[in-house]
Amino acid sequence: MRDASPRPADVDLSVSLGPLRLKNPVVAASGTFGYGCEFAPYLRLADLGGFVTKGLSLLPRRGNAPPRTCETPSGMLNAIGLANVGVEAFLAEKLPALRDCGTAVIANVFGETQEEYVAVSRRLNGAPGLAALELNLSCPNTEKGGLAFGVSPPVVREVVAAVRRAAPDQPLIVKLTPNITDVAAAGRAAKEGGADILSLVNTFLGMAIDLKTRRPVLDNVVGGLSGPAIKPLALYMVHRVHREVGLPVLGMGGISRVEDALEFMLAGSSAVQVGTLNFFDPTGSVRLVREIEAWCVREGVRAVREITGTLRLPASGTPTPPAG
Amino acid sequence: MPFDAPAPVLRHDALNRDHFLLTLECPSIAREARAGQFVMLQTRAGFDPLLRRPMSICRVLPGRRGRIQILYKIVGEGTRYLSQQPVGALVPTLGPLGKGFRLPDGGTRPILVSGGVGIAIFPFLVESLRAARRETPLLVYGARSRGDLVALEFFRKKRVPVRLATEDGSAGTRGLVTRVLEPILADAGGAPLEIFACGPTPMLKAVGALALGAGIPCQLALESQMPCGIGVCLGCVTRCPADQRGPVFRRVCTEGPVFRADEVVL
Repeated sequence: MRDASPRPADVDLSVSLGPLRLKNPVVAASGTFGYGCEFAPYLRLADLGGFVTKGLSLLPRRGNAPPRTCETPSGMLNAIGLANVGVEAFLAEKLPALRDCGTAVIANVFGETQEEYVAVSRRLNGAPGLAALELNLSCPNTEKGGLAFGVSPPVVREVVAAVRRAAPDQPLIVKLTPNITDVAAAGRAAKEGGADILSLVNTFLGMAIDLKTRRPVLDNVVGGLSGPAIKPLALYMVHRVHREVGLPVLGMGGISRVEDALEFMLAGSSAVQVGTLNFFDPTGSVRLVREIEAWCVREGVRAVREITGTLRLPASGTPTPPAG
Repeated sequence: MPFDAPAPVLRHDALNRDHFLLTLECPSIAREARAGQFVMLQTRAGFDPLLRRPMSICRVLPGRRGRIQILYKIVGEGTRYLSQQPVGALVPTLGPLGKGFRLPDGGTRPILVSGGVGIAIFPFLVESLRAARRETPLLVYGARSRGDLVALEFFRKKRVPVRLATEDGSAGTRGLVTRVLEPILADAGGAPLEIFACGPTPMLKAVGALALGAGIPCQLALESQMPCGIGVCLGCVTRCPADQRGPVFRRVCTEGPVFRADEVVL
């Protein structure tokens, strides 16, 4: 009898997230992949589904004073301070070299004010070689009383709508912060503002203390926690947003093994982003692509997109927090 | 081009209670490495510890097998796990990384200044200086006590003169390395010197200040926490002299780890 399992060539790894089509579901996350070129010695960019650039601001930023990072159990804290070359240098010096890289280049955008988000997005709108914009809504909003944009659904709706108008030609991904009681509310607000895709989660706020000196380890005192330690928290949020918002989801948070990526897809991710993995295993993202393909062959899955959101919930299963 | 692969452990020797010498087979790194460069080692399989550890390349051993040596001290969980890797184990190794030392001009006397496990970077530099037919260096080596001084045998075999300093006075001059270094710089009599230093940041700061004050060229090999080692995470930056726009930070992993003393503000 003939084996009905698909051979690797038969597995379709392509995924679609609204207007964004990716050749496979593995995307390198912002802040962990530079501007792509830094990884050229380690992997073929064309083997990835895509990558997201370091967050871009209107003007170059040098970031926070060191120490900026601290390792924690199965994770790390960072307070880099959004150091980046600025949008003009990105357009002039980075993007042209990426036009033929063979994968989706997604520009991450942030601002200290809504006007800055709009200005950076307008500048990037329609840039040749750019596949999408990703809005980072987790940075301090000096206009709104020191809150981060992403923690207030009305502010999320407003800034997303403003960017949507300023950059009508780019698929718009909105990256949600996990530092919020109801992440689905922020997701709904982003959808109302015109987001095409939601990416989640950004890092969790955290801190580390040096007992010897009795001082915070990070010069910034507070940092963002990433790595395998946050995976269950992120997975839960992806599950909720997928069920409650109704936009394609790019899930992330501690994805380090093929099993992690597949779990995020079952929970509702159409594709996944890998971040901290790029630091401790520079070729890990491409390995995940191969391993997802191998898993599909083993499991008889002909198109990886078929598994998105196929989590089997118990009849009584709800995404609400357990009592007690 | 950096090389990233599991490297077999060929030898793993305890030098004392907390200092180890690890010999790895990694021909690509051995072929391309320069003195002052480093590798990123995964200390244990799994996710805790999560990040690889940056380690100076201590030596590239002669021969065709492509062996490098790493001299390290147990300072935390990562290095503790590394010390338990037996012969035959595979250690994921990425390198060579960073910009190493620039060798001095001919006729310049190299003064190597080491604090603690900073000594690990110097055997490779000594052999590189010899291969380039530069003047024999002088090593000034400081540690807490006699028991913390390692690799002295290597320098003796290479006929490198060594001046010791220990904080408790159990070997050499009692005090810090700068106490030994100051009279050496004062007595140079105008002969051209160049300082190469590696050790704790307060030591580098003091040595850099001495060198700048005496007008002597000085290269500092910095240590820093490095999540990636390849210039991406921007976590390992060091502060450099500010410009009109404010503070300037440079990556220790790719723009260093070796900087001129006047390039950094420690």
